[in-house]
Amino acid sequence: MIDASFRVCTGMPQLRRAARQLALFVAGLALAAGAAHAETQGITVASTTSTQNSGLFDYLLPKFAADTGIEVRVVAVGTGQAIRIATNGDADVLLVHHPASERKFVADGFGLARHPVMHNDFVLVGPADDPAGIRGTGDIAAALRSIGEREQVFVSRGDDSGTHKKELELWGAAAFDPSPASGAWYRESGSGMGATLNVASAMAGYTLTDRASWVSFGNKGELEILVEGDTRLHNPYAAIVVNPDRHPHVHAGEAQAFVDWLISARGQAAIAAYRVDGQQLFFPDVVAAVED
Amino acid sequence: MVDEAHRAEDRSEVRLGSSDDHPLLPLVARGLQFGINGRRIINDVSFWIGSSGRTVILGPNGAGKSVMLRLCHGLLQPTSGEIRWGELSVARAREQQAMASQHPVLLRRTVTGNLLHVLRVKGVPKAERQALVDAALQQAGLAGLGSRAARTLSGGQQQRLAIARAFVLKPAVLLLDEPTANLDPAAVRGVEELIGAIGAAGTKILMTTHDIAQARRLAADVMFLNDGRLLEHAPAAEFFTAPKDPAAARFLAGELPD
Repeated sequence: MIDASFRVCTGMPQLRRAARQLALFVAGLALAAGAAHAETQGITVASTTSTQNSGLFDYLLPKFAADTGIEVRVVAVGTGQAIRIATNGDADVLLVHHPASERKFVADGFGLARHPVMHNDFVLVGPADDPAGIRGTGDIAAALRSIGEREQVFVSRGDDSGTHKKELELWGAAAFDPSPASGAWYRESGSGMGATLNVASAMAGYTLTDRASWVSFGNKGELEILVEGDTRLHNPYAAIVVNPDRHPHVHAGEAQAFVDWLISARGQAAIAAYRVDGQQLFFPDVVAAVED
Repeated sequence: MVDEAHRAEDRSEVRLGSSDDHPLLPLVARGLQFGINGRRIINDVSFWIGSSGRTVILGPNGAGKSVMLRLCHGLLQPTSGEIRWGELSVARAREQQAMASQHPVLLRRTVTGNLLHVLRVKGVPKAERQALVDAALQQAGLAGLGSRAARTLSGGQQQRLAIARAFVLKPAVLLLDEPTANLDPAAVRGVEELIGAIGAAGTKILMTTHDIAQARRLAADVMFLNDGRLLEHAPAAEFFTAPKDPAAARFLAGELPD
């Protein structure tokens, strides 16, 4: 810390003023340098809209702040954009749910390491009378194939979102291409999860949704969860500290503190404790859920 | 706190860039025809491969599997019909692919020399080459054999070297034509383990085999080819338990000529 009280051994006013200006300048420099190590400046986390919309951050971040004094700003955008933001060094932490991109991010040197934090899952919902006959199957690929072969209404996000990509991967696993049926039984809403669920509800059709959106969806009508639990429906989240060697201004220490907290027993218990309508939305990956 | 304005639930997420997805998928073929001297070898084949899992083209000898693979890799041109890898033509996509066939074609060099040659030809900076070679040898179970003459390796080792050489440039797609056809069971296992590791790392594997048991072990999805026609394309679980095509069912029961 700067000693701002240095004295000038002169009576001349100009010299005193110059000395004061110099003292202020040096003090200002010291504050700027000291700020990086003194009270927290906070960090920016690049994450996704679905994670933000679940309310998880509103629940977790005050707990983290209480434990560490570090303020967290979340920039919630699509997965691809979150990765670009982190690649540009405009975030200190990347928290998304796209393992292939995350591994590439680290392999390309933009991130220090990929830390699995939590997962939730996707579920296939559809009409209670289940014309495709898929209720209870543990095989999502077989279920989609049934829907396709029986030409039952399926509503897709159709918006190049992470959920849409997941859905296309699953059609791939089913070795069934729905695109020729676009507009017929395969309906592309081109919208977010809420609108897509509304279309599925109105048409009594099938759709793939993340569980959190389903839990908070208020217009379920005849729709129920028909397929869940296939490991291909897992939606794993990981946290990555942006590499300060690539972007020196990154608050690496505080960013690492955030990631460390997320994967600590406290962080993992907090993730497990988050409920919407009494339902757990995220499942910790590091530590078994703490019994209360 | 959220810097971006709270997005309405209805707002779409931003499109993932192509570098985030598999750049060469889906592989789409429409109406492929290929013939030589008036003989139809590939007959009106259309398919869609959208998954990054291991796709196995299965069928009896003479079905046209090797020709199918060569058409996908651009080594042969179809008489008619089209193939695209994602947004790319076959010719463009080939730069991101590597192929290894049934008989490993190794250079008259050491094991290391075979790998270095590929890296040199592709212009990989000299400083990076040795690390890539070491990693490839490790992955292929050939660590310590670097200075052996490649052609003195056993059949299984040669095939693993050929595959490692195909993979050392980290292609997006690895095409394998009957990779274990000439190998004893222990060697087959070694090669299959290597294929599994490569696929698990994210490379799309497209391979041919006439060996049903091998297809069962490796396939995420199966394309059944017989007499130049694609008769069925299904997830492995479904294909092996309840094939829809009668010729596929006969083949699985051992009744089609091998």
